[in-house]
Amino acid sequence: MNATEQQLWDYIDGNLNASDRKNIAEKIESDTEIKSLYEDLLKLNSAFGELDLDEPSMSFTRNVMESVASEPAPVAMKTQVDKKIIYGIGGFFVISLLILFGYVLYNSDLSMPEFNFNARLNLNLDKYITPTVLYSFLFFDLVIGLVFLDQFLRKKMHK
Amino acid sequence: MEQKLTDLALIQNILNGQTDQYALLVKRHQRFVFTLALRFAKNREDAEEIAQDCFVKAYKALGTFKQTAKFSTWLYTITYTTAMTFLRKNRLDTSSIHDEGTFLQLENHSSAFNANGYDKQDSHAFLNIAIDELLPDDAAIITLFYKGEQSLEEIGAALHMEPNTVKVKLHRARQRLKEKLQYLLKDEVKELL
Repeated sequence: MNATEQQLWDYIDGNLNASDRKNIAEKIESDTEIKSLYEDLLKLNSAFGELDLDEPSMSFTRNVMESVASEPAPVAMKTQVDKKIIYGIGGFFVISLLILFGYVLYNSDLSMPEFNFNARLNLNLDKYITPTVLYSFLFFDLVIGLVFLDQFLRKKMHK
Repeated sequence: MEQKLTDLALIQNILNGQTDQYALLVKRHQRFVFTLALRFAKNREDAEEIAQDCFVKAYKALGTFKQTAKFSTWLYTITYTTAMTFLRKNRLDTSSIHDEGTFLQLENHSSAFNANGYDKQDSHAFLNIAIDELLPDDAAIITLFYKGEQSLEEIGAALHMEPNTVKVKLHRARQRLKEKLQYLLKDEVKELL
């Protein structure tokens, strides 16, 4: 296809910028050959637009509805996790780590007498870390893990 | 007078449990989906199977439809992938417009035309013949552009192509249709159109 014809199609489709559009309009006006080609393309364009769509069989809709009748009713996916919840969980862990770090620093003796590095980390967490706390923490982790896994699988499914 | 519900309103109703309203969506889009399927399958039985399969798939996945895009564009994407799967499975002949067989067939059409004369109906029939002889992708692009009211970007999304590729294919398809009509109708193409 020559460049002029391609430009004429772009002109008909409205895909040209203002200056190209003006150029083509001028060419159509001044050149009888281009004008004749333009008129032919316009006729073709309108013929394409008048094409009829084919009709499927009369029972088409009924057949589709019978096929979908055995399917479970579609439901909207509303299980997307709110971003605030994600940020909340992230914040909880950051704060927990900071508290733990602060506690360790507070109870530590970092003095170095006579250049002998003798830092004694006095960490007595036994009274805080009971089996109940540990199980709760693990359960919480498990729930978060499942939420992330669910999100990951959904994204994969959408792709 | 009952106001016609939009596609999105119908989808919302279906997702809220009024599944019978899916029939309205099917009725609204079946002609176009069927025509598009026919561009790939080339016979009515196969096209109907593809179109039906497409609507069943769309129903199952309706919950995942992102309502920011046009339902028709989403539906045509499903039609295209369903048709491609069908073609791969059935190894249908998707011969090019330049194949020798194609020209032999067209010659027959041309003779029939010369013998019987023509009217406006014939112009549509000859256009349909010419479209049938295009490559499936090109025929689908012509159909989507002229009858599906889809932009180049939307067609690109439906057919998994860049908009620029769609533009090039659209130009090529129109050029081939023009040549085809000139071949079919000799010098009378202008009178016919």
